[in-house]
Amino acid sequence: MFKSLGRKWSEKLEFGIFTLPVLICIAIAFYIPFAMTIRYSLLKWNGISKNPQFIGLDNFKQIFMGDANFTSAAWFTVKYAIVYIVLVNVLAIGLAVILDMKLKSTTWLRTAFFIPYILSLVIVGFIWKFIFMQGFESLGASTGWGIFKLSWLGEPGLAFVSIVAVSVWQSIGFYLVIYIAGLQSVPEDLKEAATVDGAGPFRRFISITLPLLAPSITISVFMALTNSIKVFDVILSLTGGGPGGTTYSIAYDIYRDTFQNNMFGYGTAKALILFVAVLIVTLIQLSLFKRREIDA
Amino acid sequence: MKTISAGRKRTGRNRAGRIALEIFMVLLSLVFLYPLFLAINNSLKSFGEVMSDVVALPKQLAFENYSYVWSFINYPRLFLNNTVITVVGLVGIILVSSIAAYKLSRTKSRFSAVLYVVCIMPMLIPFQSIMLTVLRLAQDIHLNNSTWGLGLLYWGFGAPLAVFIYHGFVKGIPKEIDESATIDGASGFRLFFSVIFPLLKPVTTTIIIIDVMWIWNDFLLPLLMVNGSPSTKTLTLAAYTFVGQYTSDWQYAMTAMVMAVLPSIIVFIFLQKFIVKGVVAGAVKG
Repeated sequence: MFKSLGRKWSEKLEFGIFTLPVLICIAIAFYIPFAMTIRYSLLKWNGISKNPQFIGLDNFKQIFMGDANFTSAAWFTVKYAIVYIVLVNVLAIGLAVILDMKLKSTTWLRTAFFIPYILSLVIVGFIWKFIFMQGFESLGASTGWGIFKLSWLGEPGLAFVSIVAVSVWQSIGFYLVIYIAGLQSVPEDLKEAATVDGAGPFRRFISITLPLLAPSITISVFMALTNSIKVFDVILSLTGGGPGGTTYSIAYDIYRDTFQNNMFGYGTAKALILFVAVLIVTLIQLSLFKRREIDA
Repeated sequence: MKTISAGRKRTGRNRAGRIALEIFMVLLSLVFLYPLFLAINNSLKSFGEVMSDVVALPKQLAFENYSYVWSFINYPRLFLNNTVITVVGLVGIILVSSIAAYKLSRTKSRFSAVLYVVCIMPMLIPFQSIMLTVLRLAQDIHLNNSTWGLGLLYWGFGAPLAVFIYHGFVKGIPKEIDESATIDGASGFRLFFSVIFPLLKPVTTTIIIIDVMWIWNDFLLPLLMVNGSPSTKTLTLAAYTFVGQYTSDWQYAMTAMVMAVLPSIIVFIFLQKFIVKGVVAGAVKG
């Protein structure tokens, strides 16, 4: 195992000097906190008392036996993740196909759809809160359309739709760029051959473009998945978890337990469960999607 | 004769369809950006005008909203804070990650392969799983409540992705380059900084873009780390607390939002081409 280090001292030293800084930084940012998280999750602790009480796996038992907040937050996160992943990818592929047709305004369109992605999600949430609360009233008055008169942040079902819509609005430009890059690597002659064989545009898309887009789909779904499981910022500023606590995500629920309710041990136990869930889901997703990819 | 006119009719219909599609897409993009326009529009109105009609254009441009928010949140100070955090973070991520990724990629041994996995594994750890303990650790080593401390923390948070991208790229650089430089008498740091690092430029651009957008806009880590005093806050944090205090004064809230996002929009407009390219390179390789 240490064969490379067995050669010369100077080489060993150089390897150490080159790699040690990054290892220290990553240890401080991730590994040491992660080890501390495991320890904290076994404690009953409010963060202030000098003697946290060791309670073994009781936190985990309590979470799984009956924590209504956690269950509803988990359910919200799963629903959100599924709807978000499907919507953002389908819409981005659709837009990318249109933008790949080399329209005159392609450059402008790409820029326009990308702009929300450079904005902070917290701020995006506030801007939309303003629009849902104040803007829709004026828009409803001037257009007379009923959809502007609904309570988009005040009714649980609609608040869910609003959160998904705002997230998709903010991030679609990113996925669009990935898909455009993927489409540009689809060879033209394949599409032409299919046209000669009599395949219409729809058939060409299903049988040629989509399979060759598989690597981009894998990456985009992976990114959408990891981001949607961690959804926090946009909810904090858009609904604050409301109405009636129906829009708490797991990440928000953990934040609430640790920093608002001072249940440090309990909150970190939930955080560990989130980590395990993310690990399992992403590994399954990656292995499933990798298997379906074709080399272009 | 008949076939020609039929053919012409068909291309004519295609062209009409294309123009219709083009017009539709441009309109769609304008609707898409309309929320941002509404934000800017209302940042230039008085309170009464915001309340009476959000859609209408301002009768008189209320630039005093901007001067009010500018001095209230101490904008220059926040801007400086954001810049310090982003620059400190970025320089560290690039230095620490590129040099390690180079060495790990060049050294073919089990030990080096294991270290590489150790470096990129944290990409799977959700920040919420460790946010409390990161804060505790930062307090213990006195990195909290300081813009420099926060910048330093980003070194570790940005490193896994950067090591991953650099590692893949170094594989594509021929080993002969290292060897000939060694024969010419350069080795160690000299070899890396004068020969290898310049060759990494395309990936470095990608990393700069991804990380600048991320660090500049980040919310949760600054909220935990530097929210304690007004002199260490970031733009996003200030906008967040400002809106919390002035929930009904939407004209100020919108002004604060616009002022917080304006720097990113300006930078984006100038560097647009590189940014889109950079995202593609980073994401597709990743």
